[in-house]
Amino acid sequence: MANADAEAVDFEPEEDDLMDEDGAVDVDASPRAPLPKLKSAITGGSSSLSAARKTKGRGFREEADADRQTRLASRDFDSLGSDGGPGPQRSIEGWIILVTGVHEEAQEDDLQNAFGDFGEIKNLHLNLDRRTGFVKGYALIEYEKFEEAQNAIAAMNGTELLTQIINVDWAFINGPIRRKNMRSGRAHRSRSPRRRY
Amino acid sequence: MQRCSQISIAKETKCIIGAAIAFANQPVRVRDANMATAAEDEFYLRYYVGHKGKFGHEFLEFEFRPDGKLRYANNSNYKNDTMIRKEVFLTPAVLKECRRIISESEIMKEDDANWPEPDRVGRQELEIVMGNEHISFTTSKIGSLVDVQSSKDPEGLRIFYYLVQDLKCFVFSLISLHFKIKPI
Repeated sequence: MANADAEAVDFEPEEDDLMDEDGAVDVDASPRAPLPKLKSAITGGSSSLSAARKTKGRGFREEADADRQTRLASRDFDSLGSDGGPGPQRSIEGWIILVTGVHEEAQEDDLQNAFGDFGEIKNLHLNLDRRTGFVKGYALIEYEKFEEAQNAIAAMNGTELLTQIINVDWAFINGPIRRKNMRSGRAHRSRSPRRRY
Repeated sequence: MQRCSQISIAKETKCIIGAAIAFANQPVRVRDANMATAAEDEFYLRYYVGHKGKFGHEFLEFEFRPDGKLRYANNSNYKNDTMIRKEVFLTPAVLKECRRIISESEIMKEDDANWPEPDRVGRQELEIVMGNEHISFTTSKIGSLVDVQSSKDPEGLRIFYYLVQDLKCFVFSLISLHFKIKPI
């Protein structure tokens, strides 16, 4: 009986293309307090889960000004076009990678030495923690060519820099992240009833 | 049940059954566990600072969305300037780093109850969803550490003050690297 119930309740909100379209339409409506329009919020069964979310702050008690919804909702945000496919996106003059796990006493030279082998570094941002003055922990590096950036990622991801393991990956991609962990169960939908013998 | 009212009839039946099972304390099925994990993984951040004055509604606002989209807007009518709006999709690595910055700051443990209210000089808003916690803080503009020290909650406001600076650093780097052409 329990199995039959599992079959009957087979709604997979993320696999449901209709839901996805609704989500896409909502994409331009800016999420705001009390609940951003997150995909997980539209599943009926999650009512107990969203109740578990703790809320805090004046923003929930205040009346939202009419402006708030529209400011980030408009459609005319500039973006760089993509070549259409999924994958990393080229920035205005090159390809940008993100390095995380950077040691707090790292200097620009350390990164230049570690990453300079793969190609000329066109841009390097090694931001500091505004309170302590130490390195915040991440760095953004720009290479002119895709291959240079790709080689840097392949070679340096998971390696050690100044006694700490760093992770290296692309910074920008062409489209939204599709969250794999929400797509559980069958990969394809079938409308025929499940065989029950 | 009210949540289901906007869903089509075909789904409504499943919705009611689903809710009934959830309430009946059935053992958690794999799918429910995945939804729980997904809810715990949600991440959203929005920051706004602005005021209304002689040069119109001048504000800076940015938003990290769960699907990776970073939206940035900066508006001023100073010298008849117009709005700047940029958007780009970030990789999970970038979102993960943003989450790390937030969790290390421990802002989620704070509360804005004793922070100065927004005023004519300006307002700041910080809204974060991380896991099963959702904060939405509003306060006035903070001129310097003097304003932080003299407030009713210097510890909490200091965390907010520095987190905002670190987030701005992060966002400005991402946006300027992606969109700005380097002068010769």
